Amino acid sequence: MASLPQAPLEAAHPRPGVRPAPPAIAHVRRRRRPSGEPPPLPRHLNASGKWWLGSSAVVVLLWGVGAVTGSIALVDLVDTRVLQAISEVRSPGLTRVAEIAGGLATPAGVQAVWLVNMVVLVAFRRWRHLLVWLGVVLLVTNLADAAATTLQRPRAYEVEILGPWSGFAMPSVPMTVLTAFLVSTLYALVPAGRWRTVGKWVVVGVLAGTAASRLYLAQDHPTDVLAGVVLGVATPLAAFRLLTPTEVYPVRYARGRPAHLDVTGTRGEAIVRALQDQLGLVATEVTPFGLAGSGGSTPLRITVADPGRSEGESCVFGKLYAATHLHSDRWFKLGRTLLYGRLEDEKPYHSVRRLVQYEDYVLRMLWDAGLPVPQPMGIVEITPEREYLLVTEFLAGAREIGEAEVDDAVVDQGLSVVRRMWEIGVAHRDVKPANVLVRDGTLFLIDSAFAEVRPSPWRQAVDLANMMLVLALRTDAERVYRRARRQFSDEEIAEAFAATRGLTMPSQLRRMLRQQGRDLHAEFLRLLPYRLPPVRIQRWSWRRVGLTAVTLLCLVLASGFVLDLIVRSPL
Amino acid sequence: MRSRRLSPPAALAAALGAALLAGCALPVSVGGDELACRAGDDGEPASGVVLMAQAVPTASWVPCLDAVPLGWHLSDVEVRDGSGGFWLDSDRDGVRAIEARLTASCDTRGATEIPSDRAGLRRLERVTEVRPQYVGTRFYVFDGGCLAMSFRLSGDYRAEPLAVATESIDVVRRADVEAHVHEDSGGRLDLDPAAAEDGGP
Repeated sequence: MASLPQAPLEAAHPRPGVRPAPPAIAHVRRRRRPSGEPPPLPRHLNASGKWWLGSSAVVVLLWGVGAVTGSIALVDLVDTRVLQAISEVRSPGLTRVAEIAGGLATPAGVQAVWLVNMVVLVAFRRWRHLLVWLGVVLLVTNLADAAATTLQRPRAYEVEILGPWSGFAMPSVPMTVLTAFLVSTLYALVPAGRWRTVGKWVVVGVLAGTAASRLYLAQDHPTDVLAGVVLGVATPLAAFRLLTPTEVYPVRYARGRPAHLDVTGTRGEAIVRALQDQLGLVATEVTPFGLAGSGGSTPLRITVADPGRSEGESCVFGKLYAATHLHSDRWFKLGRTLLYGRLEDEKPYHSVRRLVQYEDYVLRMLWDAGLPVPQPMGIVEITPEREYLLVTEFLAGAREIGEAEVDDAVVDQGLSVVRRMWEIGVAHRDVKPANVLVRDGTLFLIDSAFAEVRPSPWRQAVDLANMMLVLALRTDAERVYRRARRQFSDEEIAEAFAATRGLTMPSQLRRMLRQQGRDLHAEFLRLLPYRLPPVRIQRWSWRRVGLTAVTLLCLVLASGFVLDLIVRSPL
Repeated sequence: MRSRRLSPPAALAAALGAALLAGCALPVSVGGDELACRAGDDGEPASGVVLMAQAVPTASWVPCLDAVPLGWHLSDVEVRDGSGGFWLDSDRDGVRAIEARLTASCDTRGATEIPSDRAGLRRLERVTEVRPQYVGTRFYVFDGGCLAMSFRLSGDYRAEPLAVATESIDVVRRADVEAHVHEDSGGRLDLDPAAAEDGGP
């Protein structure tokens, strides 16, 4: 491909500007966690969860004994006598009260509970809680139904049944479903702490009232109610505590991205303890930092005790990754694969540990290559396989490039960062204003989470175009283009802008371009001596076709299931 | 009690039974255990029959299932306060070809009474449609209850499903169900409350 005359390239291997040495941080002696000692933030099912699961096991065991021996005559007798005793106090007034009190354990009642949950969870985009909810609904209703069909216990003998009923008696399906729905509501809608504690007592009250009503009306035996409550509590309790632990998926109604974790309380204490044990850093304060620019992790500013400094402390930067970020990463990559085809050509991570290890590795690679990135300081394990903290130098005083003074030197540094990444075979993949910082005339590149080693030439070209667009935000296209020609050939710049258009730019960059009302992309294209045909990014493969088909099928099935739950009660 | 599927042992037994009996007797599939007229070694009504009796406390007769011919199987059972019913699927006559439902009373308008094949039960027939499919209802009316068998048959041979309704869908006396419950509880419990017994069937 012919090239138009241009200014000779500067040094064959230009280096980004001189990277200031990171500040020294005081360390204390590290401590190895001995075998058997729990991690800083252990993952556990609370004692009450174990108690309920144990109770469920007992119930299932008793069912097994009953099914095998085929005789529950004694249980029948006791249940009947209890119901007969209750029926002695029946009166028209009490019967009316009981009918009203049992309203929640009816098809309309449980459907109302479910619909309220669904609306709130969808409104607050708490998808994981909603999925667990749906799983609990499926599991509990089928389990109760299957148990009742297997055990085949008739309704109460010798007592007139006053209320409506359906099917075999053990366990009480309405009580099982209602209990499961109320407990699910507690864990999906009510914030942990005082509100949830109050909510638990409310649920206990509602269940007690409903159970009393059903016993009064002789709709269930006492043991049917007991088995239903045990099953109805244990299943959602275990599901929500294991799949949506409060530490990772807190229920809250304040504004903020769901990916950001709460670093107060037990997690905050765990971070402080883990930093001291594993990196020898004595943290005095852990606070969220720059949340607006981060959606895939929880960025933290960690104040560290530093007796050597006059102010007595310094700061390090931490990126907290949890399972929730891993899942977000998977959905993000799946979505991009479906929407953009070739744009997303990498596999998702399979564990949080791998994700953090990879980012730490890339950061060290960039650091070793002399690139102006924060100094990597290590990985801290908070909860094995679930939560890790990536610790780096804190770039105190650095400002996003969109708010900083940008002169030719800064433009050159930005361009030489891209050139250097090309040389070492790395693509950053997320070059946007939030990830390009400037401090005292020195440019820094942060957030290597999306970086890729040995990327496709297309990805490298996209990095260049995005960097030029970012630099032009605070200057102008002509100036950046002129400086770029000192480090890149016309072919390379033309290729960069052939590879880059709307979808390939980070959303923050697109947003800022729109805000400025300037079509910088078109301005760069006008400056080019010639244009290359746009690089096609929508490329179909069997994998993409299969993924699209499976995703559509899952969506249809899920929609059908949800629709069925909306129009039809699980009872 | 809505859906019902054969358990693996039952399915195996069904397959073995069908294989053994094929060619030497009327093929019979095992199914509908929970509604069996004579279940277990004692030949007592199954739990589903007891539940059916509880659904309609006034009914003096309760429907149940005898052996179902091959090609037919119990698809769904639905028992709730006031009524109890079940459906039979057929390989030839389609899904839910026969529905049997016990209620306290039936609307038999338009039905013609014919001589009954069951002592103590009046039989009425109502044919709604003959072609392209057969749609009709057979009623058995008795003290305190009514058993309606609805047919929706898409096959060409109507005689077989009508015979299934006669041979396989049976009835047991409520008194027999009560006796079973009494005996099963060691003589300590009865099916119905004392007051219902006094004024009941």
